Amino acid sequence: MSATMIFEHLYIVLLSVLFTVLLGLPLGVLAYMKKPVRSVVLWAVDILQTIPALALLGIIMVFLGAGKPTVIIGLVLYSLLPVVHNTYLGLSNIEPAIKEAADGMGMSRTYRLLHVEIPIAFPVIFTGIRIATVTSIGVAVFATFVGGGGLGSVIYRGIHIQNMQLILFGTLSLMGMAVLFDGVMAYIEKRLYRHRTVKGDEH
Amino acid sequence: MIEYKNVSKSYGKQKVVKDLNLKIPDGEFVVLIGPSGCGKTTTLKMLNRLIEMDSGSISIDGKNIMEMNPEKLRSRIGYVIQQIGLFPNMTVEENICVVPRLLKWDKEKSRQRAKELLELVNMPYETYAHKYPNEMSGGQQQRIGVLRALAAEPPIILMDEPFGALDPITRDSLQDEVKSLQQRLGKTVIFVTHDMDEALKMADTVVFMSEGQILQTDSPEGILRAPANDTVREFMGKHVHNFSQNQLACSDLMKTNVAKVTQDKKTLECVNIMSRREIDSLVVVDREEHYIGVLLIETVNERGKAGDTIRDLITVDFPTVTPDTPAKTAFDIISSQRAEYVIVLTEDKKVAGIITKTSMSKALASVVWGDGQ
Repeated sequence: MSATMIFEHLYIVLLSVLFTVLLGLPLGVLAYMKKPVRSVVLWAVDILQTIPALALLGIIMVFLGAGKPTVIIGLVLYSLLPVVHNTYLGLSNIEPAIKEAADGMGMSRTYRLLHVEIPIAFPVIFTGIRIATVTSIGVAVFATFVGGGGLGSVIYRGIHIQNMQLILFGTLSLMGMAVLFDGVMAYIEKRLYRHRTVKGDEH
Repeated sequence: MIEYKNVSKSYGKQKVVKDLNLKIPDGEFVVLIGPSGCGKTTTLKMLNRLIEMDSGSISIDGKNIMEMNPEKLRSRIGYVIQQIGLFPNMTVEENICVVPRLLKWDKEKSRQRAKELLELVNMPYETYAHKYPNEMSGGQQQRIGVLRALAAEPPIILMDEPFGALDPITRDSLQDEVKSLQQRLGKTVIFVTHDMDEALKMADTVVFMSEGQILQTDSPEGILRAPANDTVREFMGKHVHNFSQNQLACSDLMKTNVAKVTQDKKTLECVNIMSRREIDSLVVVDREEHYIGVLLIETVNERGKAGDTIRDLITVDFPTVTPDTPAKTAFDIISSQRAEYVIVLTEDKKVAGIITKTSMSKALASVVWGDGQ
């Protein structure tokens, strides 16, 4: 029963990270490409992050009722900030020379974005995804209050019946999951950064 | 043929290019030079429409570039920039093949092209093709930058201060490579620099710009010899100094240590003098040191007999100048008549010295690089 809770938790987190990327990446690109909407987009994701997670889930529950969709939507909104910000930052920090070279070669705007800019910014974007994932693992604990299940419910039940074992199991699983994801993704990230800039060691 | 017609460009109120006219024949290496802010980079970038002109027109082979799709136009014009701008996420081969890929060449053809180009600059395909830009030095990166511009065989290459960020030794060898590539491949190159040494070394034609206008269009020699005005002269500084004022006279560069003989010397003796001094001719004078002519080793070989005097072997129609003849005259004689040297005679026909190709080039070197070096 408790082991399935781990999987349920994982399921909620991974699904919301997937949606976060699907939503956050285009928003970041939009913020980068369209100056007029930039401040609006960046401001909106900032504001979302300042709403307490529990309150955000509560508000969504009012509209959608209890259940996993509420949890996932809440998590997505909550973890947009690092993905959108890092996408925007990664793209706007690309050396102007690289963009000029791309234009000079005759790339169209979309081609340049897909073949040059996003690949170069990807390590930074990936950092955003890692932060979003690790945060989501913690925030998903609140899922239990809106009927989402997961490890939050294990801990909550442990507190209720004052069962130390249950609390520890839930907490340690969460910590382990967070550390594991963080470690693996940090490793991938490090490898991604290898060819991000042209500045190499002088031979 | 590229033709700029009355091209102008302003940024706000600042006019950076004013009513510019320029014709560039195919296969020519044209260097745009001038002080910073003279509009040379703008002039260059208007050709591939990275900067759009305000008025006037530019045509390539008679076709107005404003009527072409800018992306198509750019993919047919090579482009090299100072900051190199290789794509860090791509290998050397992928970088080279960017434009072929844009033009949808098939993979095998692109690979073949990358291989061919790398060999052109002596970078073996096996060693370099799969490296990333950050695994190479700046000089190697810019070599790839140049190859990337050549990849899809564009007839025109634009270079915007391509070697400005490289160390002098790397710059020098890349200049040589680019110049020889350009000659071998017959490309039209438009090259922007603010370095006169570079311009003189690379250019077929130097276009000197200042404040958005062309002040002079000429060969490197022409611009050195006759700068159009003070701005050009000042910019070229040390390069042009002595040329413009014709300060150098023959007496400044002649060699005074001349091997002289009198005409009653015997052939064998003269040959001995020549071989001892490792020269192939002697100046012949009479007993009062008046100039008579020159004894050439060829003449001795053809008609000379051991034991005879050299009297009948003297060449008398050798070019002569006076000590205050401008050095340029001597230079023209040497280069046009293909004479090994000219003889400098004083007013009373005595030999003051000779000017050889060596003394000529030493004098030129001191003009170009200064006396101290």
